[in-house]
Amino acid sequence: MDITISGLRRRFGRVEALRGVDLEVPGGMFGLLGTNGAGKTTLMRILAGVLSPTGGRVLVGGHDLTTRAGRLAVQRRLGYLPQDLGLYPDLTTREFLDYIGLLKGLDDDSARRRQIGELLDMVGLADVAGRRLKGFSGGMRRRVGIAQALLGDPALVVVDEPTAGLDPEERIRFRTLLAQIAGHRTVLLSTHIVEDVAQTCQEAAVMAAGRVIFTGPVTGIIGRARGATWEVVTQGPPPATGVVVSAVGGPDGTHYRVVSPAKPDPAAVPVQPSLEEGYVALMREAVPS
Amino acid sequence: MRSRLSAVCRYEFRMQIRKRSLWVSTAGLAMLIAVAQGDRGPRYLPAGTSAAEVMASWALLFSMLLPIGFGMVLADRLVRDHRIGAAPLLASLPTRPGALVAGKYAGSVAATAVPGLLVLLVTAGGEFAHRGDVALFGWAFVAFAVVLLPGLAFVAAFALVCPMVISAPLFRVLFAGYWFWGNMLGPNYLPSLTGTLLTPIGDYPASWLMGGKALYAGDSGWLPFLRPEPGGGAALLSVVLLTVLASLPLAFAGSLMTRRTSS
Repeated sequence: MDITISGLRRRFGRVEALRGVDLEVPGGMFGLLGTNGAGKTTLMRILAGVLSPTGGRVLVGGHDLTTRAGRLAVQRRLGYLPQDLGLYPDLTTREFLDYIGLLKGLDDDSARRRQIGELLDMVGLADVAGRRLKGFSGGMRRRVGIAQALLGDPALVVVDEPTAGLDPEERIRFRTLLAQIAGHRTVLLSTHIVEDVAQTCQEAAVMAAGRVIFTGPVTGIIGRARGATWEVVTQGPPPATGVVVSAVGGPDGTHYRVVSPAKPDPAAVPVQPSLEEGYVALMREAVPS
Repeated sequence: MRSRLSAVCRYEFRMQIRKRSLWVSTAGLAMLIAVAQGDRGPRYLPAGTSAAEVMASWALLFSMLLPIGFGMVLADRLVRDHRIGAAPLLASLPTRPGALVAGKYAGSVAATAVPGLLVLLVTAGGEFAHRGDVALFGWAFVAFAVVLLPGLAFVAAFALVCPMVISAPLFRVLFAGYWFWGNMLGPNYLPSLTGTLLTPIGDYPASWLMGGKALYAGDSGWLPFLRPEPGGGAALLSVVLLTVLASLPLAFAGSLMTRRTSS
């Protein structure tokens, strides 16, 4: 399900959250990176039909999201996992999924129950299907969230910051789950955790201050830091120029990895950049400050 | 559309019926009423009083206090979707806001009706123990349907919707004030809705069942055109008016939710 966004704007009072976003999202897994406040959640909410844009156009699978009919048509084929999804504490996992399934229009009881059973197996919650949702850990709640998003076999899955706050094991588990579901769908993964995109997406966009500042293959982000990533080993203070991306202590001193267009220290040696360093370089270009 | 409405209704009912506060408030208020009623209360109606009058009196008495508890319990049911973070998900589903509001309303009314009916049936059991009239159980159902239920439906509509525009705690305070002013403050003291067709405690339907004036129904006072003589027609009119009034906040909530989604 292709997404074409052109000149998208969204204003909240005096704050302009989206300032003319242009973006093409092909099928498969697509990452959307950006700092907090970059406008990612606003964009996700517009794509989910939760918010209307102030201006511009969004076509999802040929449906215009700025019209009521278009929004309904997209919502019929959409799975959405919002940031900080709230679950009804008085319902069990199975009941919650059944409720959302019914609201998605899955009226065939036996088909709906069968699908819920399969999804519970897939997200590893079959053992707690009859347990009430209150008291579920953050990771379990996200897994319930992704299971509800997949109900009805949606063509487009929009996932907003799904791994924020999860422990490393849960994060890896969740990423694997997202990669599994991407197959024949479009999965739009919004996150500020670079590692999540590095591990799951081949294509990505980067947002800053309400605009898309990069779109293309993930390797293209890495390329932005090529020739601008350095390692400095020193027992003194960190280099004054550039952005220190990591600092690891060792017997010979602290190993700093620095993103800087110019050599940050006479002893600095160029190194191969990572995605995170590419992202930092990109953000420095977009917001020099 | 209909299946989505019934799904919301079913799950809203399921969630609420599991709320301990619903049962605790019902049991607490019912016990208070049963124990603290004066010697004019239905417990002291003389032997030989008709089963209809006995159960109508009980229903009216319960109707004076139980809806307060229900109003308090229901006051966050629509806004809590925002509070707990379920609202964005619900807004992303192909379900119209009107179906959500109507389903939550129907589920809420059903969930409060269950303990309300149960209280009346238990009371009928108690009365049966010393009056020995099996018709008490039948009249318990009738009294529930015409005295208690319309008031519950009225209260549920406002309790669900008002906290969308004012805070739930403020609504609870205002609601308690309204309840005593509009239902129990004698109309000869201050201008009040007490004793009018718009009184949700079921004064008119109870008067009809009892074959006389139950409380203040028809007493002269403010808005005299809303104070006809009690009787079957007036009772029916009261139920219809309360139902129509209850639909107004629901329609408002539906349009407000639609507007909030598209803005």
